[in-house]
Amino acid sequence: MASIGVGAGAGAVVGTAIESPAVNVRQRHSARRLTAGQLGDLRRAIAAAQALPDPDERGYQHFAGIHGLPLPAYCTHDSPLFLPWHRAYLYFFERALQDLVPGVMVPWWDWTANVAAAEAIPAAYGDERDPDGQPNPLAASPIQPGGQRPGGPAETARAPRLADAPPLPSSEWIDEILDLGDFLDFSEQLEQVHGGVHVWTGGTMRDIANAAYDPIFWAHHAMVDRVWRLWQLGHPQASPPATLLARPLAPFPMTVADTLDVSLLGYDYAGSTAGAPMRPA
Amino acid sequence: MAERYTSEAIELPNAGPGAISRADLVFYGVDHSSSSFCARIFLDKPDADATTPIDDPSYAGSFSIFGHGGCFGGPGHCDVKERDEPFDLRPPHQLTPATRTVIVTDHIKRLLVEGSSDTFTVTVVAVVPGDESNDVLTLRHVRLLSYV
Repeated sequence: MASIGVGAGAGAVVGTAIESPAVNVRQRHSARRLTAGQLGDLRRAIAAAQALPDPDERGYQHFAGIHGLPLPAYCTHDSPLFLPWHRAYLYFFERALQDLVPGVMVPWWDWTANVAAAEAIPAAYGDERDPDGQPNPLAASPIQPGGQRPGGPAETARAPRLADAPPLPSSEWIDEILDLGDFLDFSEQLEQVHGGVHVWTGGTMRDIANAAYDPIFWAHHAMVDRVWRLWQLGHPQASPPATLLARPLAPFPMTVADTLDVSLLGYDYAGSTAGAPMRPA
Repeated sequence: MAERYTSEAIELPNAGPGAISRADLVFYGVDHSSSSFCARIFLDKPDADATTPIDDPSYAGSFSIFGHGGCFGGPGHCDVKERDEPFDLRPPHQLTPATRTVIVTDHIKRLLVEGSSDTFTVTVVAVVPGDESNDVLTLRHVRLLSYV
């Protein structure tokens, strides 16, 4: 897998096999390497989605609620549909954001980045305020009343870096998973990685019922989706079993087969780590 | 629910360490209805607990459970019912117990090289980060799958 590393450090070789198979395919970027414009668009889109009232199906509360509360909880875990379902979920969420701020993309949170523990959550999501001093909509989100646990919080929170939490996955671990040749084997191992990051992040993210209300949930799943994309590039002949391909991914009008080619969904992952600094000088 | 689980003795593969290309511990029937947790896996360390460091030589890896954190429906909502009727096309209940696979190739090879026993035990220790109880572990059985 030497040509498809997952590291995000300066000089890392990332996604050299990524091609541009379709017109107008947009690129998702690392949350650590967003330009000021990309980050501003993302914050505007998330804030606008959060400002839509609860029943509005274009809004943040609607999408967050699909994963868990309010019931029914559609999320698919411990299943071979885990990767396709979450790809569809991200796709429809991102499309809804683009209706609010054209061109905005969900970035990925590279939890394999070799950074200090205090910086493990990208500043784009960790900073409490944006450069204008306004509350950062990527740091937390309200939880609609119907989405709250009985007696539970009305806003998301995180509790990362607890001493007894599992460590964040290393790039070496991801490389080992990328070497697996069977989709079901790969999917199960990647889902375990994903679960560990939920536990590590703590707070709302540790709770299936509310995890998707935390804005970093989407960046976490973009990283999971990216690792799947990298695996697909490294194993072009591998695919989910044929018996899965026609399975629907409720509530989304998509099947597993519909999710397999991200270029047909209009996005891909940036093949370069070049970018402007995230923080203004 | 329990905080830890230790298996009965499991037979090591009847092959030399050089012949093993991969070895997995597969955990069946893992409950995921309660809090999220990390399950630490120790080999031949039946006294392992949440205080046992993960740099202990017996540590073989971990799996994580992204838990549902309780039931929010009415009575029976989270009762897992088998859906084996042929015309029931609904997907499995979301709380159907999970299967987890932990790749332990190097650790099984080490046991084979040491050669001190033909069997080994697996101890699973649940850890819920923070101050919550670790009493979250339910699993049905564990199996070693080895490939030559």
